[in-house]
Amino acid sequence: MFLRIDMKCFAAAAMGFAAAIAAPPALADEAAEQYVAAILLEAEPALMSPDEAVRFNGIARLVDKYVDMRRIGMFSLGQYARQMTTAQRQEYLALFERYATDIYQDILSDYSGQALKVVGSVVRSERDIIVNSKVADPRPGSEFAKVTVHWRVYRDRQGAMSIVDAGADQIWLAIEQRGEFTSVIANNGGGSQGIDVLIAELRARLGD
Amino acid sequence: MLLRVLSVIAFWPLAGATHAQVSDPGDTEAFAEELKRGEVETAAGAEIDPWEGFNRKMFSVHNALDDVLLVPAAKVYRATTHKKQRKGIRNFLDNLRTPVILLNDVLQGEFGRAGNTASRFVINTTIGFGGMGDPAERLGIPQHSEDFGQTLAVWGVDPGPYLFLPLLGPTTVRDGVGAAMGVAADPSIWIRTEAAQYYRFSHAGAVALSRREPLIEPLADIRENSLDYYASFRSFYLQARKREIDNGRTNFEDLPDIGEFEEFDELE
Repeated sequence: MFLRIDMKCFAAAAMGFAAAIAAPPALADEAAEQYVAAILLEAEPALMSPDEAVRFNGIARLVDKYVDMRRIGMFSLGQYARQMTTAQRQEYLALFERYATDIYQDILSDYSGQALKVVGSVVRSERDIIVNSKVADPRPGSEFAKVTVHWRVYRDRQGAMSIVDAGADQIWLAIEQRGEFTSVIANNGGGSQGIDVLIAELRARLGD
Repeated sequence: MLLRVLSVIAFWPLAGATHAQVSDPGDTEAFAEELKRGEVETAAGAEIDPWEGFNRKMFSVHNALDDVLLVPAAKVYRATTHKKQRKGIRNFLDNLRTPVILLNDVLQGEFGRAGNTASRFVINTTIGFGGMGDPAERLGIPQHSEDFGQTLAVWGVDPGPYLFLPLLGPTTVRDGVGAAMGVAADPSIWIRTEAAQYYRFSHAGAVALSRREPLIEPLADIRENSLDYYASFRSFYLQARKREIDNGRTNFEDLPDIGEFEEFDELE
């Protein structure tokens, strides 16, 4: 009898322990998933187009519509975001938008001919959700078959959503940009002076 | 192109480069606290890269060597071999690393993964023709990698400063120590014969070429497109290395906040 009770206790304890160490159930945010799924659907004609100009224009239009470049641009400045003059900010954000759009075009063009589909999401907070996507029908031997493309969705106070970062296999663009931009600023005198150098570099990069 | 960069940047010649393996998306797992903090790029890299001045010099030296030595050699390697042969060579070199991976799986308490590693070694060494093929992958035992640096990370050792050394590539102090342990764990290092010496050099050369070759275009692409190649490279490396230590489990806990920059709302 004692043994039986002990066994029950043991089983219960073991199950409790297993539950405690098991991965927590992945939270999902269906609204954010649907939001990204709708964007990916809208992106399909552009991604599927064999014509580079059509692809680039389509991606640029979608980025303009759904990606919050202002927020990403400010994030990319790290601690220097608060050290800008209004004039610097206006100039920087206009350049950043073009610079980052080029990068999105470059990355998403890698997927030309392959559609992406949403496969799940992870909730960091009510307003910060990671939506994961994968190539829907990878071509045999496609190097992207195993790649997970992440979309970071931000929900503002009014409930409107926007994309604030994109990444592949846990490597994120905005985080890379922040590393690079803050390094340019810090290595060129920091503060306002460094920001001017960054603006000049962006301008040069964009061929202005 | 950039996406290819993202997925292959962790493969680095000679250093303890590893293979990416991403588990099913969506699963979150708890990790040791030190993995959550301290490894992601900090603003301006000040915390992770206190030796930036030195590292930048070494990075320039490396790039000069890369331009005249590694890249031309990797191009010759590409021109003289078929894609399938290169894959076979990569598989063979990876298979040679299996005992070290197994040891580190065990040291990390990852017994399921250790079982996979052992099975892979047996299957690929036998029906995989000494490791040239990867039938284990087709049997549903995918490759993963471990090294002593990752084991030290799992044991709670902080990464320490970022370090870049010519030819050895990017690392952190912890992972550099891990790489040295990896060298010491290679039996050929302790055998003082001419044949062992020959093996050591040819093995190191083969590893360098095999890992540099797929990175020819991706690295050229980052170099061309980045505003600051050094900082960009460091950021990619640190993010990729973190992913390796997390064993590909999706971990979004430690991402810096982007959306929660409430003060930016005022700008709208």
